[in-house]
Amino acid sequence: MLPIFLSELTQIFRNRSVLITSFVMPIAVSAFFLYQHDLFTQIGSLGYIAAIVMFTVCAFGLYASSVTTLASRRQNLFLKRLRSTAAGDAGILAGLVLPATAIALVQVTAIMAVLAAVTTAPDNIVLLALAVVTTAAMMVGLALATAGLTNSPEHAQVTTLPVCLGVVAVASWVGISGTEDLTLLKRLLPGGAATELVVNAWTGGVATTDSLLLLAPTLAWVFLAAVLASRLFRWEPRR
Amino acid sequence: MPTTPVIEVEGLNVTYGDFHAVQDLSFHVRRGELYALLGTNGAGKTSTLETIEGHRTATSGTVRVFGQSPADRSAVRPKMGIMLQDSGFTPDLTVAESVRLVGALTRRTDRVDRVLDVVDLTRKADTKVSQLSGGEKRRLDFATAVYGTPELVFLDEPTTGLDIQSRDDLWSTVDKMRETGTTVVLTTHYLEEAQQHADRIGLMHRGRFHREGTVAELTRTLPSVIRFGLPAPAPALPLQATREGDGRYLVETFELQKAMSALLRWAEDHGLELRDLEAGPTRLDDVFRAIGNA
Repeated sequence: MLPIFLSELTQIFRNRSVLITSFVMPIAVSAFFLYQHDLFTQIGSLGYIAAIVMFTVCAFGLYASSVTTLASRRQNLFLKRLRSTAAGDAGILAGLVLPATAIALVQVTAIMAVLAAVTTAPDNIVLLALAVVTTAAMMVGLALATAGLTNSPEHAQVTTLPVCLGVVAVASWVGISGTEDLTLLKRLLPGGAATELVVNAWTGGVATTDSLLLLAPTLAWVFLAAVLASRLFRWEPRR
Repeated sequence: MPTTPVIEVEGLNVTYGDFHAVQDLSFHVRRGELYALLGTNGAGKTSTLETIEGHRTATSGTVRVFGQSPADRSAVRPKMGIMLQDSGFTPDLTVAESVRLVGALTRRTDRVDRVLDVVDLTRKADTKVSQLSGGEKRRLDFATAVYGTPELVFLDEPTTGLDIQSRDDLWSTVDKMRETGTTVVLTTHYLEEAQQHADRIGLMHRGRFHREGTVAELTRTLPSVIRFGLPAPAPALPLQATREGDGRYLVETFELQKAMSALLRWAEDHGLELRDLEAGPTRLDDVFRAIGNA
């Protein structure tokens, strides 16, 4: 897995378009939210800003770039090449998606650290970290599943839109309106419970045990995404 | 030659929906042997090869490589080098990085510079794969297949897109590896390469083996041919011949020397010149054509 991880990392920093669309753009959007944090705090809360930042990075930096990478590696038969070695399937997939995951986690951590520095620190950092990690796991699972439906890197621009826009929209909806009404629906939507967890972790005032329950829907999405990925993912282009 | 089977295929069937790509195929490849899998387009060569490599699952039948299932990659692949039909490299890595990556994943040990030297890509070591020509990509593919000198090498259309010098170099490397006991499974459309290098050949047609054996065994099944031209009108020939038009004749015989002697004696007796005289044993292409026309 390590050789694949290192080669993917090399390629990410070598390919300017991937670097800009997947990693510079999410940072730029996040920077805008940080710059306008007073305005967005009035609309939602600091937790809302943290959730939006997390989902922007995880959707565009992690999910979309992972789908694009997997589709590209399959299209040029690199996945087949890797499978012609002694590497196992799990190791190959981990090596391919971990660089984007690691970069996304570093980005989210750095942006949240800046947000905490310019505003106030989160109430419960452990809960916040759990929310970020489970969200990243969900997005990786969804990326593997979406890659199965994506024929090429160009096609990824279309196939990734529903999830990218969907999770950011859900995060905005839940982050701004809260979960007092339509509670079950908002928590079951992908990203809904994770957003509420981030808001709780940043703002505080909710019992930790109650917040921990919010991990369940996200973990369910991780499981569902894994099942979908196992059924949809393809190692070679369709003939 | 040692006879331990490296590959054992028994009753292999591969289907895609209703399409039966491979039907009840059985054969084995012995250690140190170069076995060529040839066939018409859509004959099932790639399905067979990919099943043996472990890229594809057999619908039924058994495939054993080194006595194990090819699906057990961690056990089998360290002994296997695979040259795919299509390159399968990412464009943003350099040649050296690509060899280093695939080499590391094979779990064999070798030096990247040695392997690049073998395929004459040393001066391209720092060139991105996207900047390589088609032939250079094939050589890179070959480099990853022979990294660490595996016990078994699969060569899928290895010389497609290579110039003559590169083809000769590739075969020279294969010959050297075979001297150390490496087993080779080859598919190619260049029949003269199979004829020259293969110990045994499996000729596939419509998912089945049409014939299998050494080149001599395969070509022995068809007659040798003699072709020549005669001025009209020509006296009666001493052999049964087919007229091909433009005063050209074709003689098919299983006794080439005897037929040639009779024909030359007849021409001398009649003071005739046999124009554009050609004679030779059956080539693999003739066997191949016979199958295609069957």
